[in-house]
Amino acid sequence: MAVTNTLKELENAILEGEDDLAQSLAQKAIEQNIQPLNIVNEGIIPGIEEAGELWKKNEYFLPDVVMSAEAFKMAMEIIEPHLTAGEFGATGKVVIGTVAGDMHTLGKIIVIVMLRSAGFEVIDVGEDVSIATFIEKVKELKPNILGLGCYMTTTMLDMKDIIKKLQENGLRNSVKVMVGGVPTSQEFADEIGADAWGKNAIDAAEKAKKLMEGS
Amino acid sequence: MGKEKSKKGAGSKGLSGLIIDPEKPWIQVIAQMPDHIMTLTEEPAKKFYHDAKVFVESTADVSGYYQLDSCTPITDVYNLEIEAMGGKMIYGENSMPTIDFRDPLIKNLEDLHKLKKKEVDWYNDGRLPYALECINLSLDYEGVAGSFCAPFSMAVGMRSYPALIKDMKKRPDFAHELFTFIIDDVLVPYIKVQNDYTDILMAFAPDAWASVPNLSVKDMKEWVVPYTERLREKCKKLGVMIMCSSGTYSEEQLDKFDAEILHGCFDVGIACTGAPMLFLLYGPWQDYPLEPVRDYTAKLREESINVTITAGVNARLLRDGPVEKIVDTIKHYIDILGRDHSLSFFLDNIPADAPSDHIHAAVAAIHTYGRLPIADNLDDIEFKIPKRESFKEWKKKLTDGTI
Repeated sequence: MAVTNTLKELENAILEGEDDLAQSLAQKAIEQNIQPLNIVNEGIIPGIEEAGELWKKNEYFLPDVVMSAEAFKMAMEIIEPHLTAGEFGATGKVVIGTVAGDMHTLGKIIVIVMLRSAGFEVIDVGEDVSIATFIEKVKELKPNILGLGCYMTTTMLDMKDIIKKLQENGLRNSVKVMVGGVPTSQEFADEIGADAWGKNAIDAAEKAKKLMEGS
Repeated sequence: MGKEKSKKGAGSKGLSGLIIDPEKPWIQVIAQMPDHIMTLTEEPAKKFYHDAKVFVESTADVSGYYQLDSCTPITDVYNLEIEAMGGKMIYGENSMPTIDFRDPLIKNLEDLHKLKKKEVDWYNDGRLPYALECINLSLDYEGVAGSFCAPFSMAVGMRSYPALIKDMKKRPDFAHELFTFIIDDVLVPYIKVQNDYTDILMAFAPDAWASVPNLSVKDMKEWVVPYTERLREKCKKLGVMIMCSSGTYSEEQLDKFDAEILHGCFDVGIACTGAPMLFLLYGPWQDYPLEPVRDYTAKLREESINVTITAGVNARLLRDGPVEKIVDTIKHYIDILGRDHSLSFFLDNIPADAPSDHIHAAVAAIHTYGRLPIADNLDDIEFKIPKRESFKEWKKKLTDGTI
């Protein structure tokens, strides 16, 4: 019963965006010898998924989602060292970053949380990332998906060059490319040859899962 | 740059004069388009965002090319005050400067207290000489207003959005101290300098962060409206009218469109401007229903209150098209809102690579369907999508004196 209560409290803490509480409940769950993967699947993920559902219903707005995402991160910080390799993050590997000259971070932060809650291993290569760095990271980390973000209409044009460079380096067939950010659109994604466009973080995670199903 | 260097006088047209010239026989249109101008004119970012003359003259050229009703040189207004206070920036080779959110200006309460003691020269620090000169030069092109970053968007720029949200939810005292600082120690002195330097009598602030769904209506009523009112009152004492485009409705998912939330946004917007003005900006308005806008203004219209509506034409629509959808969107706006509101159009942050044909079509549609008085049946009006020369060809003709 105590175990069930802890996981339910953890779910609520994430839903309510109580990051400190989520962290202490994650610690408590470990101390109660609950299997780390169960803590993730029965406490942490239901909390962030419920936040996503409330977002879809206009009951949650961006501040609520951001607070839930922070609580998710704090809880995962406690649990991750206890997970065995490959136990979580088996859906696929995503390398994600913001293109050069651009500091698009907020959308990326939430996308990362949503991808992780969907079972992806996510490697964040940061902001203001050069084309060469993206290519290096794809070569080095061999992700299933490369996620590119931006918020300016000038910097978004770099995304086209990144896809071109992937082709030139013989990497295009080994990685799916997703794009997102305020100025992007499905038309733009189609135009530059991306595999998917994430309208928002929840949409991005859903489309990433579809890309994996099709790969 | 010295005090009271340039006094041209501006702003006498009043609030509606920001966009609407009563002499013109059509609904009017202006644009925000720095990325697009930089691309068309091929000016490098290091000149475009640092040399006021280049920025304003380029804006004037492109505004002339598109036959916009007014030249509105809107530079990177979200950055300038923060940069002047020492905020770390990223200067891209081909892009607008941007705040480095990895290293925000205010990381903790101590940083805020240090900043309060810092003496900022609102004439000379950072790129303020550029910003002030942009306002000054814009007065030569029918510009009427100064510009600044709205309080909420500035707080995001100083703290980063996640940190600010956490402040508001968990450290409200700190957040209130931050907002008070922004009004009293940043914006009031900066707007005073704008007024001293150019004599502007009004100043405008975009506020993209203070919009749904970035904030709920409840959040905006608690955190945006009171501080905008505080700023308005303080600026009134300086003789400057301020206007923030806060409270816009920008929901991207059409299945989430909610008229009640939209009306809440309008309440916020009116409270922030202090006038019956609605800004239909940032969101995909080409796909939203417009009847809820009429529902909101019905009571005001019954009371014979002239509601001013700025209708945004969405950036992605302007880029992606097709032209027919751009034209239909404008026609629909005019048909639903043009006859009994004071309507004007705003081409909303035209993307760098938006095809010029799309912009020409938008402007022509506004001037054709928006001919005053608005026709009873817009289908009776013949509209042809204009065929125009490229910007380079137009510029050559201008230089040769053939236009």
